[in-house]
Amino acid sequence: MEPELAIALPAVGAVITALLKTRPRAALVAGAVLGAAGLAAVLLAAPGLRSDQLGVSLSLSAMSRALLLAAAASLALIIGFPPPRADRALLLAWGLAGIAGMAAIAAAPSLDLVILVTLAIALLHAALGGRRPLTSRLRAPALAVALLGVGLVFARLEGSPILARFAAVGLVAGLAAALGTLPYIHEFDPEELTATSPVAWIAFLGPILALAVITRARELIPTAGAVFAAMLIGLGLLNVLWGGLASWLTEKGMSAWHYSFMADWGLVLCAFGVLVPDGEAAAVLLLYGIVLSRLPLYLWSRQSLRESIQTDRPINLLAAAMLAGAAPFAGFAARLFLLRGATQVFWPLALVIGIGLLLWLPPSLRLGRSLGAPRGRLALGVGIALALSVAIGLYPEPILSLAGQ
Amino acid sequence: MTGIAAFAAWLGAAMIVLADGRRGLALGIGLVAVGFAAMAWADGVWVGGALLLVGGAIAVIALLRAGHQDWGLMPSGSTPRLLLAVAGGILSLWVAASVTTGPGASLRFACIAVLGLMAGRLLESKSATPALTGAAGLAIALAGASELGPNDPGFAPYLIGAVIAAGALLLPVARSDGA
Repeated sequence: MEPELAIALPAVGAVITALLKTRPRAALVAGAVLGAAGLAAVLLAAPGLRSDQLGVSLSLSAMSRALLLAAAASLALIIGFPPPRADRALLLAWGLAGIAGMAAIAAAPSLDLVILVTLAIALLHAALGGRRPLTSRLRAPALAVALLGVGLVFARLEGSPILARFAAVGLVAGLAAALGTLPYIHEFDPEELTATSPVAWIAFLGPILALAVITRARELIPTAGAVFAAMLIGLGLLNVLWGGLASWLTEKGMSAWHYSFMADWGLVLCAFGVLVPDGEAAAVLLLYGIVLSRLPLYLWSRQSLRESIQTDRPINLLAAAMLAGAAPFAGFAARLFLLRGATQVFWPLALVIGIGLLLWLPPSLRLGRSLGAPRGRLALGVGIALALSVAIGLYPEPILSLAGQ
Repeated sequence: MTGIAAFAAWLGAAMIVLADGRRGLALGIGLVAVGFAAMAWADGVWVGGALLLVGGAIAVIALLRAGHQDWGLMPSGSTPRLLLAVAGGILSLWVAASVTTGPGASLRFACIAVLGLMAGRLLESKSATPALTGAAGLAIALAGASELGPNDPGFAPYLIGAVIAAGALLLPVARSDGA
């Protein structure tokens, strides 16, 4: 019953929180209680154990569970220490809706259902409103759904072995379009609310979707597994280089953050492409970094970016170090795992990734400065995010064992 | 029988690509739903087919009961769309009939054609209603494609596909920003 509850409780929480928007305190309490109950259901769900209460066989893998917990922790961090002028009840409603969708993607028994749930999320996300027209908000996620669907159909066709390779192309292209990485960067309006912007896909929904697509794709097209992995690595390297350079050189601060997510995803795609346990471990830690470190820092920096405030205090340098993946933060451990995995597979790949990692420093310093001078609760929030990252970096075993590594 | 159903599905997808008006889009999504429902019934998936038909019918009603009613078929400058519809159909037919083997060629053709054409529609849509109709078509095709798998997909893909097809055209944005 736990997978069903992991989907239903946050979904009900999102609806109730949205309905109670005129009474923000009641909305927050109701959303928090139902969200916590959903979190408990995720925690209690035995990895891989199937539940068939609704006529659909649902289960949560260990890695999905770990990522859902990271998303919930990130939401709690953002709601507990909200960005200036943010509507906490609205943030909670959208966050819970996102977690319900992520749980549905994680628990879906087949790639067909994963793709259909993604389409439903894309439509609801586009309907939320925002500064961009609906066609623009729907275009990339719906294209992703179509590409994933074509990839899935090709994976199931009998005939020439090249069909499996076409399937791999469709699945990788669809994944890139869903995340908003190269070559399908989502149209980004810096002034748009984060929940309605492409950042929701690249930083919140993306990790679970990528995990669901990649794990199922490996089972669907075992004959094209090497091609699939090679494409992930190629696309990953492209995003590392492009995201890193664009994040450093772009004029707009908000866009710099957007590109930095792409660069992080480049490393994640490389990690998933490196088919050794160290690669999987790197992917888990990198995804934790996106959801639990980069996303909250992005939200907290938006106000100072609007006011063009840049500071060079110790907290800014620490944030920059965390974003750059310096020791002792979680990103450092992730990069070590990735380089070790890449060396095991093909050592020149580790060299290329290593060179790509050097690109992280200048944009990270820029992003760290854009955090401004956080005060009060915001400073506490930044401190907690930094502490969490240090804890994971120094001792990643609990997270890795939670993710089944 | 399945060949005719697959042709109807492609024709519906082509209509969605070629039409900007609500009546044209309604006819298109209706044909897509009827085509995939008939193919599901031919495979013995009675409940799944019925669900797709209901989802498609709700989408048709949603399109016909609101907004400015016109056909909007092949407005000026739609030659590239016509080429897409025809070339997409021919390419899908070639893949389904020549490149691939095994039973279910009609369903393979319909799935590839409708998914490809809906992707094209979503990429070039400038207003909300054609884009949402394209998304509804995608949902129906994805639900139908679940039958291509080696295992029985159950009713879930059909139910979710039908709900998406019905719900897409009922979203508030669809009413305020008509074709």
